[in-house]
Amino acid sequence: MAKVLVVDDEPNIVLSLEFLMEQAGFEVVTAEDGEQALARVKDAQPDLLLLDISLPGISGFDVLERLRSEEATAQLPIIMLTAHGRDVEREKGMALGADDYITKPFSTQSLVEKVKTLLIKEQP
Amino acid sequence: MTRGGLPKRQRLIGLWLLLSGVSLLGGAVFAAWLDTQLTPTGATRIALWIGSFSGGATIFLVGLLLERMLFTPLRHLQVQLARLVANPDARDEHPPEGWLKGLGPDLRRVRESWREDRSRLATAHADGARSAARIRQELETLLQVLETPLLLCDHHRRVMLFNQAAEDFFVGNTGLGLGKRLEALLPVASLQQALSQLPNDGSPRELLAPCDNRWLKVILRRVPGSDRETLLTFSDATASWSSEMGVRAELADMLTPLRQHTASLTSAADALIQLRDQNDASTSSLRQRFERVIHEEGVTLGDNVAKIGQLLDDMQHQGERLTPMWSNDFWQALDERLDPEHRLITPVGMPAWFKGDAPALIALFDSLVKHLNAYLPDNGFEGELCLGNKRVYLDLIWRGKAIPEHELAEWRQQPLTSLPLTPSVADVLRQHASDIWSLADDDGVHARLRLPLPAVERVGAPRETAPPRPEFHDFGIADLPPPDEALASRSLRSLEVVAFDTETTGLELRRGDTVISLGACRVVNGRLLASEAFDQKVDPQRPIPPASTAIHGLTDADVIGAPPLDIVLTRFRDYIGEAVLLAHNAAFDLLAISHKGVAFDIPVIDTLLISRALDEALDGHDLDSLAQRYDLAFPPGTRHTALGDARVTAELWLALLPRLEARGVDTLEQLLTLQANAFDRQDASAL
Repeated sequence: MAKVLVVDDEPNIVLSLEFLMEQAGFEVVTAEDGEQALARVKDAQPDLLLLDISLPGISGFDVLERLRSEEATAQLPIIMLTAHGRDVEREKGMALGADDYITKPFSTQSLVEKVKTLLIKEQP
Repeated sequence: MTRGGLPKRQRLIGLWLLLSGVSLLGGAVFAAWLDTQLTPTGATRIALWIGSFSGGATIFLVGLLLERMLFTPLRHLQVQLARLVANPDARDEHPPEGWLKGLGPDLRRVRESWREDRSRLATAHADGARSAARIRQELETLLQVLETPLLLCDHHRRVMLFNQAAEDFFVGNTGLGLGKRLEALLPVASLQQALSQLPNDGSPRELLAPCDNRWLKVILRRVPGSDRETLLTFSDATASWSSEMGVRAELADMLTPLRQHTASLTSAADALIQLRDQNDASTSSLRQRFERVIHEEGVTLGDNVAKIGQLLDDMQHQGERLTPMWSNDFWQALDERLDPEHRLITPVGMPAWFKGDAPALIALFDSLVKHLNAYLPDNGFEGELCLGNKRVYLDLIWRGKAIPEHELAEWRQQPLTSLPLTPSVADVLRQHASDIWSLADDDGVHARLRLPLPAVERVGAPRETAPPRPEFHDFGIADLPPPDEALASRSLRSLEVVAFDTETTGLELRRGDTVISLGACRVVNGRLLASEAFDQKVDPQRPIPPASTAIHGLTDADVIGAPPLDIVLTRFRDYIGEAVLLAHNAAFDLLAISHKGVAFDIPVIDTLLISRALDEALDGHDLDSLAQRYDLAFPPGTRHTALGDARVTAELWLALLPRLEARGVDTLEQLLTLQANAFDRQDASAL
């Protein structure tokens, strides 16, 4: 079963995402901030990250950059989530190495589709 | 005008030589006849022959004497007088000679007295005007540095003054020019109406007027105490208007549906909560309907929120502090700020326009270099502007590593103390609806900092800053006769005149030779306006023959990319406005511009015909001879350029004016009659 790490400091959205991902057949781990996310990546070794940009402490962009700079996580599928929704942030996320970018509010259906697509692509 | 003057020189010489020849020939025939009849010998025969030739020889010698001692000095006197009338300070090249030598002291006295009188008058005028000039200069400086575009019109709506800001504001609009009517600049009925109804107490009136693709906010006010002169100031209201009427209106309109959808969502959620405990078959379909409502409203709200986000981004892009900037100008300004002594930034790639708040962006980069110097080199950067979709990327490139995101995040909180209200870097980025990031280049050697900014739909480098115009006002325009007064009766001095000249591929205009350069300048109120020139190369759509290049210096390479003649002629017609045309040997230039569908049904003044009419007895009416006669100078390299020749023609016109006035030729109608007579005589002598 594929493992998805949901990183967001908003408990309501974490709750929903956790439920939706589990419904879609994934195992879910969660993190509330950037530091925790980096630690979870190491210990839980997820197959995919749903990463919010605005996090307390180090930002989602920072987490993304650090993961991409390490060989073990350079190819880890990462979907950025943000409430800002500005074109320029989407562009920045993609430039720093995100695989996809989803603006809040988002369609849960399309989120699940994107997660599935990315995981299929990653499978050898 | 010259019917009572000197007879034409060639005719006189012809008559003299004819008389001398006939007399000598007659004498020879007579002597031969006597010789055969009387068969004289020795001294008698010599006396007979000499006596027979004496009549012809006397006529020849008297003619020679008159030519050298009277007619040549008279012609020189005529040239000198013409020059003196046109310009009393012109050089004295021909002092009276021959039998007129005695007039020398009197002529010198007249000339010196005139010069003294003029000098005294000039001194008095200068003294009287000095304080006024000082005030005027201060005022001119003030007007020229004023960033508000403004212009002043007389009560006939003719432009008497406009400042540099107005020139920049209306760049490319040929309707702006001293003496031109306001209608040529802004052909808007509401403006004419507002002008006619302006109160005299100086209180302002505002109106919105379309101009090209802009909406201009025009503030008009009558100058109190003036002869109904009007001051107009302009601003571009397009951005604020479209912001008010566009994005803000859309945002306001979105509030109502947002409220409706939110109400539907909360009501459906409340209803669903109510149904929580009634989990039976009867409520099952109702639950499903509420769930569908929640889903649909959720999706609609999401769409609306995305749209609001887009509108807010648009609003920020239209922010009033974001102005168009040329990337090279920006890099240079930043360079000067970072290190005034050394060049630190090398602009690379194609320069382009973008939109931004220049002082804020410069402060932002300045802060970047200071706070992140551990990552940045101290020996310089490259600056590149990369084009994207609807936006451009301002990239600062250096040899080294990219700046980590956490460092940039820290820097974003830095206050920019050199800006008002000390915003943070993040505030300036937000102002530009932008963000900043750093990436390593693919070459593994360079890294860059990228700042996306709104692009501007503008191409081409900014115009070179023109030197301040030597004249940007002429209050004498208000004293000119009304523009609708019949042109024919207008005094020559009050005529608005456009002097023009063409350079062509050759002289055979009827056989396909055509214009390659058109130059013109404007004379308003008896003054040649130095800056309001028309200078346009034309693509002749045929090769320029080397023989023609030898004259004007223009080659095929010089006219590549120039507009074709019909476009240039349309612009030229706009430039002329309500002026009359002036040219030297106008027949040629008129033919050159007459076959492209643009009508030039305007009176034409021809300095060649005027000069012939005034000095029929003198030879040399070409532009070079006349320039020498009237002491007009060609700046080096301008002879046989269209604009250069047009300027000399204008100067020549101004030199001829006093001579025309001295002969009672005061109006355009009289001048055209004089010209027509000269033309008829030229035609008659050609037959």
